[in-house]
Amino acid sequence: MDGLTFYSGFVVPFIVGTSVLFAVIVYKYVRWFARLPRRDKLSVRRGMFSGATVAAAWECLMESLLHRRIWRVNPALGYMHTSFALGWFLLIAVGWIETVAYLGGRFVPLQGHIFFKYFTTELQHGPRWGVNFEAVMDLLLLYVLSGVALALFKRLRSRAMGMRRTTQLRMGDRVAMASLWFIFPMRLLAESFTSGIHGSGGFLTGGLGGVLATVVPAGVMPIAELGAWWGYSIALGVFFVSMPFSRYMHIFTEIPLIFLRRWGVRGEVGREKSFDHFQLEACSRCGICIDPCQMQRDGGMTGVQSVYFIRDRRYNRLSRRMADSCMACGRCEAKCPVGLELDTLRVGSRYTLNNTPSNDRWAYARGGNGRSDIAGASLPSETAQVGYFAGCMTLLSPRILRAMESVFAAAGEDVWWADREGGVCCGRPMKLAGEVDAARDMMKLNEELFRRHGITTLVTSCPICLRVFREDYSLRGIEVLHHSEYFQRLVAGGRISLKAGSERLTYHDPCELGRGCGIYDEPREVLRAVGELAEPSETREEALCCGSSIAGNAIGGVAQTLMGRAVGRAFEATGASCVVTACPLCKKALARGTELPVLDLAEVVERHLMTAADSK
Amino acid sequence: MSSKRIVVIGGGPAGMQAALSLAAGGLKPVIVERAGELGGKLKEWHRLFPSMTEANEVLTRLTGEIAEAGVEVMLHTEVEGIALGEGGAHDGAPNGVVLAEGKKLPAGAVIVASGFDIFDARQKEEYGYHVYDNVFTTVDIERMLNGDKVALSDGTAPRRIAFVHCVGSRDEKVNQRHCSKVCCITAVKQAMELRERFPEAEIYSFYMDIRMFGPGYEELYQQAQQESHINFIRGRVSEASPTIDGRIQIKAEDTLVGRPLKMSVDMVVLAVGMKAAAGNEKLAASCDGLSLAPSGFLAPRDMFTGCVSSGAAGVFYAGTATAPKTIGECIAEGAMAAQRAAEYLKSGAKR
Repeated sequence: MDGLTFYSGFVVPFIVGTSVLFAVIVYKYVRWFARLPRRDKLSVRRGMFSGATVAAAWECLMESLLHRRIWRVNPALGYMHTSFALGWFLLIAVGWIETVAYLGGRFVPLQGHIFFKYFTTELQHGPRWGVNFEAVMDLLLLYVLSGVALALFKRLRSRAMGMRRTTQLRMGDRVAMASLWFIFPMRLLAESFTSGIHGSGGFLTGGLGGVLATVVPAGVMPIAELGAWWGYSIALGVFFVSMPFSRYMHIFTEIPLIFLRRWGVRGEVGREKSFDHFQLEACSRCGICIDPCQMQRDGGMTGVQSVYFIRDRRYNRLSRRMADSCMACGRCEAKCPVGLELDTLRVGSRYTLNNTPSNDRWAYARGGNGRSDIAGASLPSETAQVGYFAGCMTLLSPRILRAMESVFAAAGEDVWWADREGGVCCGRPMKLAGEVDAARDMMKLNEELFRRHGITTLVTSCPICLRVFREDYSLRGIEVLHHSEYFQRLVAGGRISLKAGSERLTYHDPCELGRGCGIYDEPREVLRAVGELAEPSETREEALCCGSSIAGNAIGGVAQTLMGRAVGRAFEATGASCVVTACPLCKKALARGTELPVLDLAEVVERHLMTAADSK
Repeated sequence: MSSKRIVVIGGGPAGMQAALSLAAGGLKPVIVERAGELGGKLKEWHRLFPSMTEANEVLTRLTGEIAEAGVEVMLHTEVEGIALGEGGAHDGAPNGVVLAEGKKLPAGAVIVASGFDIFDARQKEEYGYHVYDNVFTTVDIERMLNGDKVALSDGTAPRRIAFVHCVGSRDEKVNQRHCSKVCCITAVKQAMELRERFPEAEIYSFYMDIRMFGPGYEELYQQAQQESHINFIRGRVSEASPTIDGRIQIKAEDTLVGRPLKMSVDMVVLAVGMKAAAGNEKLAASCDGLSLAPSGFLAPRDMFTGCVSSGAAGVFYAGTATAPKTIGECIAEGAMAAQRAAEYLKSGAKR
């Protein structure tokens, strides 16, 4: 045997820290997983032996180690995250290979790998397997240290990192962060002292060790060496113990999150569920979600963005104001490097906060059987293949209604008007307010109405209704279309013809239609047929919210006005003479924010309908 | 202070009275008015509540006195902002106004009497203004009364008329949270005027609350119910839609009976509210000490003894630039602002 021992007093903090970390993580993950609903567990079982697992592993590599999505938003921030994640991972992985290279297959306890340099001073440290391990390990250490330097710089000057705002820290985070910053400088110091004493080490630790050996008196060197190793071990131990209670929990939690997501597990809109824990603790609080938030950028509402919401919900100190202060526009969700379902998480909390025993606001409206008193659906009086559901906001926008009537007439479509036959609100506003039970009553009533009527296509001009029809209703056999998709089909199929014009138009992507349902091209295709389309600087996936979202329960008139004006200015900058949108709510909000005329897509189509007289 | 001139921004009732009071005190006011003549929105009104005085009577009295006193008036002139002193003891302090193309009009003090905007009823598309033919605003009705031509678009007389209160007031959906105060009494007055013209018509008035705050207002409201047979229904109208025979169907809830109701009418009159003037923002930004209330109106120093003072020395407010007010209140504030401005100039002269 080589006579090496792998024990010294200083390893205790590290051993304790690692044990606590391991125990807490296993406890948390097992508990969260056990509480997943049956449906999710089934989908995990099915997904586990499919291609999804390979895809998840690849995603872990790209995101947890390389942080590709952060790089895309902000290269400097990406470098910082990658240097920590990839650098540390490689230090551990290469360190393990190094142990095997030098010691072969013999058992080495965990601390033997971590404090390898301290325990193996008697070994010849020349290259093994043709690899200069000391140089490689030094290079990796230098890589991580560059990330630490960048992190310090970011704390001092976040703007320099391309972020206008950065997150405020909690106590647990401060402890974890401070210990994390100490880990790598302490490691450098400890390895350098050891190298200095034994004349070993690579270009970094050896070099610094040489300098230390000349500066520090020989008698002090062994004491300083042991002190540095103690410091390194304590930093590791403190970091590991505080990690599960700090934002650094994301380091591990992103991995189960990626796998669960690939296996088909999702959050539930409108309710909290166990899966949410994986999402909450996978948040690194990078703060990338703060800058895209228009409430912060234009509306003067700070401290309520997704990162703060997640922090408060995770630590069980969520307020109503925090849960309600969100437009669910999806702009931050689109930028989140961890892909968290930020809107879903927020709306779920509204349900929990609303449905406390002291706050049963709808008790008076329910009958004795606990069900709502909404009248049952009446039998439709007409028959048609195509149903039209205007929705509440379109009913309050008579110009859109009139335009829809004209277009249906021009296309020769026989339409059944659902709103006139007992249709009620689609239920999404209630759902976004956290009133899931009331929403469910409305959805059932509409579902029954649509099914009884036997329509095969349902057209709506409201993206809010569209989204809830697609996501929450079970409408098998009925194709649900937004009016923009319907118009595009009418034009493509030659059922209506549009007169081309030369007007310069700009288009506003409604959040629920664009980011919500992925419909970007159909309205644009229709608009290009009638005029010239000018895009605002932030468009499609990055489009601004009109500021008047139905999800914004706690956003006052002043903030809405400020946001509305900012959006208005963005459209005025395109030089267009008219703003077109495809949502009645956006239309109303935009009209308050700009002097330009604001039209719904339906009105534009109506104005450009080719009549028999035109075609002559 | 070199100049005794005082610039009065706006030639409505508040501005005209301010100028008159200043002139009476031996000072030299100049009214800067955007439009081609004096009078502000008073020019468009028919009769004034609650006394049914002809608006023209008040207007000609004020403009006549202005002419008599020889007050300098600059018409067709827009004010871009407050001018600030440069250099010397008064560096950065207000000392006049900036006109178009950066031209400066120096003055010892400024009285802002720039008024309000009328809420654009098209923003409440659900009420069908400029969508259906026979939806009007209370402003339209004043004009029609002035022209002595109140009728439906086809020239016939309405048989059923509905007034809708609080259009663009107390409405978070259009970011107008404040009460515009004068629309209730205006709608009551107009309902009675329409009754005179159409003795056979049914007239309804949909309201949230009826706010009769002034002397004689409550009496007029009682008279409207008892003698003019105006039917007041407590409930906000949710939407208006066309009927097959070209009338307008309105949906509302009668909250006293607790029932939703639908009603077909020939004419809808929207009692539009007062909106903060669009120019307030630019004006406030031009000078330190001027600020806006959340409603967008200019914020006076306080609501009591400082109600015509701004946060900037030498800049005073009068009339609806700071909040919705009646014509009488505007005229009273005009006189008070003139007095404060005169005191300010006097104390400056002593310095």
